[in-house]
Amino acid sequence: MEVFLFSMFNGVLYGMLLFMLASGLTLIFSLMGVLNFAHASFFMLGAYFAYQISKYVGFWPALVFAPLLVGVVGAAVERYGLRPVHRFGHVAELLFTFGLAFVMEEVIQMIWGKVPVPYDVPAALNFAAFTWRGLDYSAYRLFMLVVSVGIFVALFLFIAKTRVGLMIQAALSHPQMVQSLGHDVPTIFMWTFGFGCALAGIAGVIGGNVLGTEPAMAITLGPIVFVVIVIGGLGSLWGALIAALFIGIMDNMAISYDIALFPIFAMFGVEREAEGIMRDLVDLTTGGIAPVLPYLLLVLMLIFRPRGLFGTRDV
Amino acid sequence: MSTTAIELRSVHKNFGATEIIRGVDLAIEQAKIHAIIGPNGAGKSTLFNLMTGLHPLTAGSIHLKGREISSQAPYDIARAGLARSFQVTNIFANMSVFENIRCGMMWDRGYKYSFWRFAGRQRDLTENCEAILQQTGLTSRRNVPAGLLSYSDQRALEIAITLASGADVILLDEPTAGMSRSETTQAVDLIRAVSDNKTLVIVEHDMGVVFDLADTISVLVYGEIIASGAPEEIRGDPKVREAYLGAEVD
Amino acid sequence: MAGILQRWGVWIAAAAVILVMPVFVTSGFYITMLNQMGVLIIFALAYNMLLGQGGMLSFGHAVYFGLAGYTVAHYLNGIGEETLPYLPVSLIPIMGGAVGLFFGVLIGFVSTRRAGTTFAMISLGFAEMVTALTLVVVTFFNGEEGIQTDRWVGPEPLGITFGSDVQVYYLIGAWCLIATAAMYALTRTPFGRMCNAVRDNPERVQFIGYSTHRIRWLAFSLSSFFAGLAGALHAVNVEHVGFETVGLAQSGLVLFMVWIGGAGIFMGPILGAILITLLNSNLSDFTDAWYLYLGLLFMTVVMFARNGLAGLIVMHEPIWKIKIGLFQKMIVPYALGIGSTLLAVAGAIGIIELAYFMSTRTTAETITHLYWVEIDAAGPVPWIASAAALAAGFAACTRTYPIMAASYNGAIAEVKALVAS
Repeated sequence: MEVFLFSMFNGVLYGMLLFMLASGLTLIFSLMGVLNFAHASFFMLGAYFAYQISKYVGFWPALVFAPLLVGVVGAAVERYGLRPVHRFGHVAELLFTFGLAFVMEEVIQMIWGKVPVPYDVPAALNFAAFTWRGLDYSAYRLFMLVVSVGIFVALFLFIAKTRVGLMIQAALSHPQMVQSLGHDVPTIFMWTFGFGCALAGIAGVIGGNVLGTEPAMAITLGPIVFVVIVIGGLGSLWGALIAALFIGIMDNMAISYDIALFPIFAMFGVEREAEGIMRDLVDLTTGGIAPVLPYLLLVLMLIFRPRGLFGTRDV
Repeated sequence: MSTTAIELRSVHKNFGATEIIRGVDLAIEQAKIHAIIGPNGAGKSTLFNLMTGLHPLTAGSIHLKGREISSQAPYDIARAGLARSFQVTNIFANMSVFENIRCGMMWDRGYKYSFWRFAGRQRDLTENCEAILQQTGLTSRRNVPAGLLSYSDQRALEIAITLASGADVILLDEPTAGMSRSETTQAVDLIRAVSDNKTLVIVEHDMGVVFDLADTISVLVYGEIIASGAPEEIRGDPKVREAYLGAEVD
Repeated sequence: MAGILQRWGVWIAAAAVILVMPVFVTSGFYITMLNQMGVLIIFALAYNMLLGQGGMLSFGHAVYFGLAGYTVAHYLNGIGEETLPYLPVSLIPIMGGAVGLFFGVLIGFVSTRRAGTTFAMISLGFAEMVTALTLVVVTFFNGEEGIQTDRWVGPEPLGITFGSDVQVYYLIGAWCLIATAAMYALTRTPFGRMCNAVRDNPERVQFIGYSTHRIRWLAFSLSSFFAGLAGALHAVNVEHVGFETVGLAQSGLVLFMVWIGGAGIFMGPILGAILITLLNSNLSDFTDAWYLYLGLLFMTVVMFARNGLAGLIVMHEPIWKIKIGLFQKMIVPYALGIGSTLLAVAGAIGIIELAYFMSTRTTAETITHLYWVEIDAAGPVPWIASAAALAAGFAACTRTYPIMAASYNGAIAEVKALVAS
């Protein structure tokens, strides 16, 4: 029971982090048609900025300023990089963000080095919030959950209640309408991009000290965020939330329970004494295939339901 | 043998809750030029898109030379012998005029997906392409990239690609859209020249063109055919005058 | 005779260059580099069947390259242990191609229904899935260690053992020529033409009787065949296949090569593979920042040169074909443009190298070399000098590029006038 509850809790936490990235990505995609390959790189940038800022003035200012800074960097990238490429079409934009992800990783290595930086959980929150049946639960993780749920609620209120939010909502369901909204579309694009990046930045600030702040963190998380938005359905924030939570929980459950998959293969006639390539099947556990599961889901989803869980249109 | 090229039987099409086509019955005779006219938004282009498989039908059926083609894939309908042109020029802009026409021809001549023979060595393809270039007056522009052609040449190429498929039922979606008077006259001559033994269905706004070319005219208003007949009948039909023509043809 | 030369001249010349290269290039380092280059030329051309010819951007084409490499490595080991029937090593690439084709047909079917972003995402999904599987299916992939193999197996026909790198060079050279010719020929077939048609206007293609899915699927499968062929040669060449060969980095590298070389032009990927391999071999020991430079080069090409470096060359083709003398007037404007670019690039490299030096140094030593000059990286002088070069170069570019463009446009206008008269 306690294993279940704890992996549920951690799964929800991981899922909320994924959602913070996925919501920005899906906003950018729906509005601009750009699949931002570098989205997770802004998440990474958030973590590094937070590390650097908290080194001088502590964690709390970093929590505010790092995401803002990431948002400004994102807006600048859109204005001076992406916008000129726009006329070459979506493939060129995708290539641009792919190159950007590559370059950002190299630049981060150049500035902060190839090894992880010591970005730690703030001392004020570094204690066990509660202990249950001998398992400690850290206060910082609770704090992460509070922040991510707070962001989530704020995001929904923003979209449901404000004028800009309603416009975004219209754009999510009818992307071709954006052009006819009669607003300054390039500026909206720039700030949307910056806003999405800032969301990823927040995830970086609160997640970087738990997941580890190192140059490979973007490339490990990035593809999973793509999986989330495709499974949830492009343009659907609810879909992104459900898919993020699902993947987060699935990943944690698969690892903590680590169930042997042999009985399944046995049904297909694999024997316990099998040799060669079958040998791998005999020893497989859910923990072992956990890294494969999201991509398996992605591929199945794209084959059987290309619009995703809650999408209104095909990818 | 039936003399009907295309037959539509109580065809319906809804987009969401909106009914665009509300029960169209239409029989188009073989080897005739049949024009479909109607005010903007009447559903003329939608009708074309249904016939060529771009959208599935909501209800009803469509038959091409006696064979049902309702809701088939566009390429299956094209292979069955129905070709179409587009209202907005829809060509392969990076290829030469000659290549555009050759692409339009390959399936019909049996080259399909073959990757074991060179396209350029096939004499039958080359000769047929030259013939179509001649017919559409594009011979001098043979090697020009299609994207660099003048507007009226692009419209001619649009028709040339459609012809290349060898289909004997051809749908032309506003072939003279956006043309000047003299260009329109040329286009009309071209259409008349290619119409030998072929069934042509034309959607057109230019009434001069319609009454000049068509053997039969159908009037589509709000997703329904309100009248069908020879040009003189349509001209005299009070319902049509009321709904659409107004003073234009007097 | 003249006709034959005109038609086959390029191929004869390429064969001759491949044949005599080892006479001039004798150092082991460069032979190794050439071998790698040959493999990557095939891979880049295969990739471009998707991207350039078919308009499909893939982030996972290394999957077919790598899976073929693994299979071939196992097969060679099987021959060595006499558990599998003998197959001449020179024909092993066909086997790799078959493996690529098999997976291409399978995965291609589900991923080619759409092009564009959807296709790109599916390709990434498969790439990540296979990468994750390398750690799960240990018997086949052997985790992070990969599979070691030995190409010196079985009988030795005519004394060819592929023991030496030069023999492997000729093997790769021959296959490179065959594969290039085959892929070039494919572009001239009805299938090749329809591939371009699908890339340019998928909607219209359906109305001339073709299924866009079928064409993309076929292109994907054939492209995977050649990627597999390249993967097999890679395995024979380095006698090791690791999990990085199926991964995103390998797919990204081939994408960089193709796009920098020029995806729209058949020669582009060849040019890209040659250039990137040359730079990679020679620069990666010289500077830590090599990958940063590569990424920046890629982004620059994406932003400013749609058809890559080959596109920049082909742009000038009408001039040298019609009246080569026109280049005379272009020398000065081009020299100005290229000079200011070089100045800006030199400044940027200076800053990057200094930053890299400062962040990666392990001692307190701050004296280093920049452009063969001894400098103190902690002092302001080299930084200011580099920044000044960058700023001055950039400012100069904004002035010289219009001049360069004007001289080009002038020459092209003159060519057009010449052609018209």
